Amino acid sequence: MLTSAAIKELKKAVGNENVSFSKEDAICYSYDALASPYLPDCVVFPVSAIDVSSVLKAANRFGFPVVPRGGGSGFSGGSLPVEGGVVLSTERMGRIVEIDKKNFTAEVEPGVITADLQDEAERQGLFYPPDPTSVKFSTIGGNIAECAGGPRAVKYGVTKDYVLGLEVVLPTGAIILTGGKKTMKGVVGYDLTKLMVGSEGTLGIVTKAYLKLLPLPEARRTMLVEFLDIESAARTAEAIIASGIIPSMLEFIDGVSLKSVAEYIGTQSSAGAALLVETDGRKECVEKDSIEIKKISAENKAYSFKDASTKNEVRDLWSLRRAISPSLNKLKPTKLNEDVVVPRSELVSLVRGLEKISEKRNVLIASFGHAGDGNIHVNVMVDKKNAGEFERGMEAVKDVFALALSLGGAISGEHGIGITKAPYIAMELSADAIEAMTAIKKALDPNGILNPGKIFPGRAGLKFHS
Amino acid sequence: MKDSIKKSLLEEAAKCVRCGACKSACPTFDVLRREPSSPRGRVSLIEARLRGVEGMKDAYVKHIKECTLCGSCLSACPKGVNVPQLVLGARCSQSEDELIPSVFPLAAKNLLGAEGLAPALVKTVMKAAGKLQGVFLKGAGSGEGLVTRFSLPFVGDGRLLPELPEVFFLDRPDISAMKDVKKGATSRVGFFVGCGINYILPSIGEATIKALDSSGATVAVPAEQVCCGMPALSSGDVQAAKELALRNIEAFEKLELDYIVTSCATCGHALKSVFKDVLSGEGIEIRQKAEAFASKVRDITELLTKELNYEAKGERKEGTVTYHDPCHLKKYQGITEEPRELLAKSGHVFKGMKNPCKCCGLGGGLIFTNYELSMKIAEKKAMSIKASGADIVATACPGCIIQLKDACHRYGVDAKVVHVVELL
Repeated sequence: MLTSAAIKELKKAVGNENVSFSKEDAICYSYDALASPYLPDCVVFPVSAIDVSSVLKAANRFGFPVVPRGGGSGFSGGSLPVEGGVVLSTERMGRIVEIDKKNFTAEVEPGVITADLQDEAERQGLFYPPDPTSVKFSTIGGNIAECAGGPRAVKYGVTKDYVLGLEVVLPTGAIILTGGKKTMKGVVGYDLTKLMVGSEGTLGIVTKAYLKLLPLPEARRTMLVEFLDIESAARTAEAIIASGIIPSMLEFIDGVSLKSVAEYIGTQSSAGAALLVETDGRKECVEKDSIEIKKISAENKAYSFKDASTKNEVRDLWSLRRAISPSLNKLKPTKLNEDVVVPRSELVSLVRGLEKISEKRNVLIASFGHAGDGNIHVNVMVDKKNAGEFERGMEAVKDVFALALSLGGAISGEHGIGITKAPYIAMELSADAIEAMTAIKKALDPNGILNPGKIFPGRAGLKFHS
Repeated sequence: MKDSIKKSLLEEAAKCVRCGACKSACPTFDVLRREPSSPRGRVSLIEARLRGVEGMKDAYVKHIKECTLCGSCLSACPKGVNVPQLVLGARCSQSEDELIPSVFPLAAKNLLGAEGLAPALVKTVMKAAGKLQGVFLKGAGSGEGLVTRFSLPFVGDGRLLPELPEVFFLDRPDISAMKDVKKGATSRVGFFVGCGINYILPSIGEATIKALDSSGATVAVPAEQVCCGMPALSSGDVQAAKELALRNIEAFEKLELDYIVTSCATCGHALKSVFKDVLSGEGIEIRQKAEAFASKVRDITELLTKELNYEAKGERKEGTVTYHDPCHLKKYQGITEEPRELLAKSGHVFKGMKNPCKCCGLGGGLIFTNYELSMKIAEKKAMSIKASGADIVATACPGCIIQLKDACHRYGVDAKVVHVVELL
């Protein structure tokens, strides 16, 4: 609970009207896409780095937690106020300050919705590639905090590859600039930019981001290739890349997902796996690449090849990919949504391993995702009403992590650790590595006020899993 | 609230997994950019209230009022959560306690809710408004509509209001003469006029009858028809919506019609779906009547293209035209191609606009409860119209027309706003 002196300080920091104690706001800022609510004591709506700094200084003085929140679309609980305190919403910090067509850079506030930046860049012939599935409702600030990825990572990389520099408020309230604003290089001191990206809002609050943009590709082409078995799909994916083509997307869909989506839209599918491939670039190159991809697919026993060139055809192919999630929801109400990553050469081993786990734990597992970068979304589907099914699902999740690690992968590719995976990080990180990380956290946030209870095993993670 | 209703609302709310996808589709979140003004926020608030969470007051009512019921969230939601239904449920449950006067201005609610029950009262009010409009309002300069001469309470400065007709559509001698269809006529069509056309935009009614005539249909306009009940329902008055539905079904069923047509997207949704919904708790006989009635209902654009094979004379006309999809037509009736097909036959050159199906901001009673927010939403639509470069913006809903006229006037967009049938 906040003392009256702390409340007074908060109101001074951001103005009376930007501190809310209403029950309505507490409810609406208590959740993210994990749907596991924790009520905050209050919500603040700062508009500048100075506002944010004042809030954090008050937090240190009075000892209350501050939890930064963008779009509230995370899957690992990064923006949940698990220990109460103050949710700091970046919704009022939503300006695209500048798009620099000479230097191919953008300056944005953290509350900008990522798709809005993409639209604005596109209007000026430029391109901001990172495209998490939540691109239309997640924010740049949240994307940076979680180092969001997306299908385009195979060719274009993830959020961290586009952050040139940051204005960050450190947990103590100091406002610093990391990296550069418009320069593509810079090696002065430690790379605090990279440290901040993916730190899940535990090391600082981004108040401005300086981002790299690319020229907008002239053309795009989408193809859907279906196979009878996953080996053929995986071989095709490998062969495409081996041929020297880096597709802008190379998405994998497993048989369970294909069957589920076919039933959902009222068709039938006997395919064991499918690849959704997109190439982009100069018109002539895209044309050449698509012919080559068709040839490689045929050589690897593809039984169906659909090539979309008009906007409507592309939309139809993507609507299939987008229908996977809702169709899975029809099978079972609860989806334990994990996002392990393995070297892309291990895709077949991963999917075969998932089949074994599904059998061993007697739970339905559907997987789909980014074949191009080995980041596969593993959905363990359970119904809490069936006795023991949720528990078996959680066991299966642990098996999935162990499998990914045994294949040289990681337990999370793009969702972050938050509270959901906190109990498992020791499966991947050594004790010394965890100690190095907690030492950094302590150095920057001596009072532990910024987004406590995240990443490292603690009470919140245990509560979530119990 | 009845336990069974509460249970079904709670089940609907429980489907929400809080993913946030709906935020990208919601017109109120688009302009306000705060979580409680998003569909996900509304679901969370309604669910909390249904569960008996205490301590919610004015802000709850405000956020429940903000929803335009446009249904944009329906297609964005991977779980198929019916947020508009939850919001309506929340509003209806409000009617039972002290919060209702603040959900809708009391006068507007009584007027709208009781429209069909006391048509004489509404007529008197609308007539008085017609007589007084010259005192308070003056021509807008653009030749269309009226603006306030001075600041008026409940109206707002510079607001463009439609000029009310001297005689309401249903009262005109030529229209009241059309109370039945000749025996043995083919394509027997009953015209459901609706309040927007009857009281405010009768030219749409004229154009509708003309288009039906030229397509070989025989048209009747039953005099006993009343309001479709949507304003009452949006404000949470289910009882009024029920009684209006019954009176309308009675007015049309005796004419042995092939089709019941409306030129209002909102009325169309009410006639096709809402009547059945609000009467679903009644006896089998009433439910069958509602079903039979609903099966005959068509939007005018749907009837002309799909059933009557409307043919145009094919002459080229001056002026380029763009199209705005009314929420009640696209999101609730799935009609998008039919009006565009008619526009292609109208002889005007078509120019698409960006986000044609984005809500205009009028619906769900927002125009009455929060004019400022309603206009903020409409501003985006006005800018899309401007960017399209079209001279005319056509749509298929009198509500949208009133809103788009006001928005174009306010934000300096030089485009004529009409119903699709007015271009035929």
